[in-house]
Amino acid sequence: MRTLFLALLSLGLAVWTPQPAEAGGAGELKIGITQFPSTMNPNIDSMLAKSYVLAMTRRPVTAYDHDWQLTCMLCTELPTIENGLAVPEKTPDGGQGIAVTYSLHPRATWGDGRPVTTDDVIFTWEVGRHPQSGVASNEVYRRILSIDRIDDKRFTMHVDRITYTYPASGALDLLPAHIERPIFESDPAQYRNRTTFDAEPTNPGLYFGPYRIDEFVSGSHIALVPNPTWYGGEPAFDRIVVRVIENTAALEANLLSGAIDMISGDLGLTVDQALAFEKRHGKQFNIVYKPGLIYEHIDLNLDNPVLKDIRVRRALIHAIDREALSQQLFEGRQPPAHASVSPLDWVYSDDIRKYPYDPAEAARLLDAAGWNVLRQKIRHNTKGDRLTLELGTTAGNRTRELVEQVLQSMWRQVGIDVRIKNEPARVFFGETVTKRKFKAMAMFAWLSSPENVPRTTLYSDMIPTEANNWSGQNNTGYRNPEMDRLIDAIEIELDRDARKLLWQRLQKLYTEDLPVIPLYWRANAYVLPKWLDGLRPTGHQFTTTHWIEEWRRVDR
Amino acid sequence: MSGSEPYQLAADAGQAAGPPRSIRAILWRRFLQHHLALGSLVVLGVLVSVSLAAPLVEWALGLDANKVNLLGRFLAPSASHWLGTDELGRDLLLRLLYGGRVSLLVGIAAALCAALIGTLLGLLAGYHGGWLDAFVMRFADGIIALPLLPLLIVLAAVDLNKLGLPETLAGSENISLYRIVLLIALVGWTTVARLVRGATLSMRTREFVRAAEGLGAGHLRIMLVHILPNVVSPIIVATTLSVGNIILLESVLSFLGLGIQPPTASWGNMLTGAQELIWSAPALAVWPGLLIFVTVIAFNFLGDGLQDALDPKAVQG
Amino acid sequence: MLRYITQRLIESAIVLLIMSFLIYGLIGLMPGDPIDLMITADPKLTPEDAARLKALYGLDRPIAERYLNWLSAAFTGDLGYSRIHARPVLEVLRPALGNTVLLMGLSFALALAIALPAGVIAALKPQSALDNTINMVAFAGISVPPFWLAILLIILFAVVLGWLPAGGMGDAGWWSRASHLVLPVAALTLVTVGGIIRFVRAATIEALRQDYVRTARAKGLSRRQVIVGHVLRNAMIPVVTILALNFGALFSGALITETMFGWLGMGKAIYDAIMGNDFNLALIGLLLATLTTLLANLLADLTYAWLDPRISYR
Repeated sequence: MRTLFLALLSLGLAVWTPQPAEAGGAGELKIGITQFPSTMNPNIDSMLAKSYVLAMTRRPVTAYDHDWQLTCMLCTELPTIENGLAVPEKTPDGGQGIAVTYSLHPRATWGDGRPVTTDDVIFTWEVGRHPQSGVASNEVYRRILSIDRIDDKRFTMHVDRITYTYPASGALDLLPAHIERPIFESDPAQYRNRTTFDAEPTNPGLYFGPYRIDEFVSGSHIALVPNPTWYGGEPAFDRIVVRVIENTAALEANLLSGAIDMISGDLGLTVDQALAFEKRHGKQFNIVYKPGLIYEHIDLNLDNPVLKDIRVRRALIHAIDREALSQQLFEGRQPPAHASVSPLDWVYSDDIRKYPYDPAEAARLLDAAGWNVLRQKIRHNTKGDRLTLELGTTAGNRTRELVEQVLQSMWRQVGIDVRIKNEPARVFFGETVTKRKFKAMAMFAWLSSPENVPRTTLYSDMIPTEANNWSGQNNTGYRNPEMDRLIDAIEIELDRDARKLLWQRLQKLYTEDLPVIPLYWRANAYVLPKWLDGLRPTGHQFTTTHWIEEWRRVDR
Repeated sequence: MSGSEPYQLAADAGQAAGPPRSIRAILWRRFLQHHLALGSLVVLGVLVSVSLAAPLVEWALGLDANKVNLLGRFLAPSASHWLGTDELGRDLLLRLLYGGRVSLLVGIAAALCAALIGTLLGLLAGYHGGWLDAFVMRFADGIIALPLLPLLIVLAAVDLNKLGLPETLAGSENISLYRIVLLIALVGWTTVARLVRGATLSMRTREFVRAAEGLGAGHLRIMLVHILPNVVSPIIVATTLSVGNIILLESVLSFLGLGIQPPTASWGNMLTGAQELIWSAPALAVWPGLLIFVTVIAFNFLGDGLQDALDPKAVQG
Repeated sequence: MLRYITQRLIESAIVLLIMSFLIYGLIGLMPGDPIDLMITADPKLTPEDAARLKALYGLDRPIAERYLNWLSAAFTGDLGYSRIHARPVLEVLRPALGNTVLLMGLSFALALAIALPAGVIAALKPQSALDNTINMVAFAGISVPPFWLAILLIILFAVVLGWLPAGGMGDAGWWSRASHLVLPVAALTLVTVGGIIRFVRAATIEALRQDYVRTARAKGLSRRQVIVGHVLRNAMIPVVTILALNFGALFSGALITETMFGWLGMGKAIYDAIMGNDFNLALIGLLLATLTTLLANLLADLTYAWLDPRISYR
């Protein structure tokens, strides 16, 4: 009896003995996001939630850093013509190409101990360019004509064109060949369904980043623990839990009840929600706003006879007070946009045509365009047509619905009757926008990367049609040979100064022609605990988690 | 099915007992005794009248319900804005009144349409019987199981111009309202159809129907003149009760982003829009929520009172 | 009896087949396909990519052909892969079905446990203060917008009082799971219990009026004996009907509760599948919901026969 008692006592002691702190030792960090990733395979489609989580567990070869400059993540040195790692050459069919050479980080190792090698690069490229692999966008892989293996860690890519983005030619997300190759080769058409990333997402061999996935509960949460094979800085947290809560009211409640520590800015609250939250609980949290490359705008259908007239387009933009909108709705956290290039981008130019709030000018332009008969406060032309335009956006997106109603009210002041017709996102994006079915105006956002050439949105052969399978994103139907020339010229101009001049011309032309109405730059709002340090918002598509090893717990 | 039993007896009472006026008087007296139902009727009457009077109120207050005022957001109640202003500086009282018009209209119109379809199909099925009955009832089963969501999404994307609707109607901002009414009617008729069919089924075997048949009355005449009046009470009760449910459904659809679209206000979309402002501007959520609650509960009480009043056995006893 | 069941089962199978075609057609009618959605998300997608992907997913074929392909595959047991979860459909639905059954079953049982006594008590003394109170509460429950109720519960119990988690599934342990269940079960129960109380009350009042109850009372049976022996049994018949109807409705009702509390059930799985253009998942999910409703109806009809010997099925 006594021995049993002692045994129980010692058992109790064993349970209660404090565990020695592990490497890192900052405990658990619980992050709330609003979307669950579908497939975890990095290359099959692109989804923000996936890259948010995956960036903790693996890194692309190259990425844009906090200063929006290209940098090496998995490679050791960016190839440039100056350092000799990039060499212009003729392609087999006689075009101008370039050969770029990368070295993978010598200590980059998959979580199961196998080194990350050139074989993984070649395998990733093979999957990417295979027509049946299910990888959504082949473009980046198709541009690579061949890969020469130099050794386990070094390789040279032969790219079929020479553009200023050549140092990023190798921006691949590597797949572990030793795990994925047999699955892919047994049936390429079924690869997207059978990939280990979905069949067994906790397999350590899939990851080489600071963390690896330890627990994966579809739709609910993903838990990560430090990966011992990581080659970079020591991550601080012993465990990171990414919890998915789609309803933002519930997300806030979870934060307040302590079920999560922070709300990710990459996929969390909208700025107006964060502003309201800050008013109530701002003292308990650090709330950081970072405007970025999310360009909220209104696409104008240029085939609409009314909108064909540049005077009407200019009147539309003069009639709205974007400054007041930004100040009153977003307290200035989401600055008004003047063109498609962010002021934070180095190619941004201020030498553009700006359209300040000027209802008198708007009225003058409309009069000049023939919309000069006022009936029941709405403009008509002499033929008796009413100046009515349809404006659509994604139903259920509250911020957009608010902005939309403000704009509608402002346009009414100058006699433009705007009718709102919103649709669920899947209809709006799947049909109305992609198939150019919106009658006049469609409000949504473009998410781009730094110095992103607007080929898909502005080039004349990128207008979606039945014939091209509705691809291309020139939904406005904008065509201007000068714009086409500028886009072509920018892409192949390697000299930064010369390129910046071309960018200036492009932005000026964009604001002269006004195929879209620029609204504002959307900001990400990060709600962080006071004790979290080291999280630096980027403002572009490379999420903050690409630098998760810098996140620290500090007690103040 | 025993659910149809009381109404069958109601028919008996209607046929047997004296002049219908006295029955009506009894029913009315019974209804008056149902205080909750009476109170609800008054509440609903007030709600409907003030909603209808929204343009008058707008004119009297000298305000514009849709005028956005970015400098006057979230104002507290004052002499010019009795309930304050919303997140875009619009007068909350006026928005609620106009929202009430939409919510009540959706509820009542959809319930009436559903009752109409249900009555027709229920009469036909119950009277004709056989394969038609089986078909309608299985169809109803299918409808009950039918998913609302894809239907709504499909309907949201149908190009109404292509259906031949005139531009003034298709381009109207109220189009989401018509869509919802139509859709709810198309899926909501099954309850009434089941009730009417059950009542009709038992009514068919009654002597007076047989007699009318014997006298050579046409099917249509028998259905409309002899059977329909006797199944009216369950239709009224079911329709009244369904108005409340439809108003609730509208708010749920708004929550899913499939309801009435802005700038048209409805209590449902006002409530949905206000849920994230619950801490900073609780009034914006409290008012529409309260109005939905009061309206729905009033319709339910009213239906309940009607049911009691129209219950024949209570009349006999 | 057996013949009746067989006939009903065959009927149900036919309804299910028709529904599968209808739902497939409906989803096919929905604007845009998965590839169209991908194009908006990925600016680098070229026309060739779009064509290649459409062929890969079989989206370039006419809808009738796709349906027949799907049907023949389904009969061989291959239900395909979910697009948005990148896993076999059944693998996605199995846990969702389990979660929904747990949530619905609990709230259903709780609602019944409250509604049966409450409804009978209310019916025994109509128009009494107790009856009126129960009535008011029942009506309040069915008159509140469900998502609104969910928010109020979250605010009160998760944020202000901090007693319960605001949402999510909890960890593997039963305690964590149970604490995450409390609020959604409460929300779901509150919105369903009112309707059931109303039906139990009406049915009991109806049963109390029947002649055999008077006879039984006249024979000198005690009030308790009459209520338990005769009234309740008869009152159950309409109650069973409404329960069977509710069974299917619980799937759509559960969507709101599941969304608000982040509970990974069928309602949410189907909704996400429809919104995300996940053909296979939406189809199978909806068919499963249809099947449940049909079977519940059959079960209800059989229960009548058991409860009321006067009803017989041939």
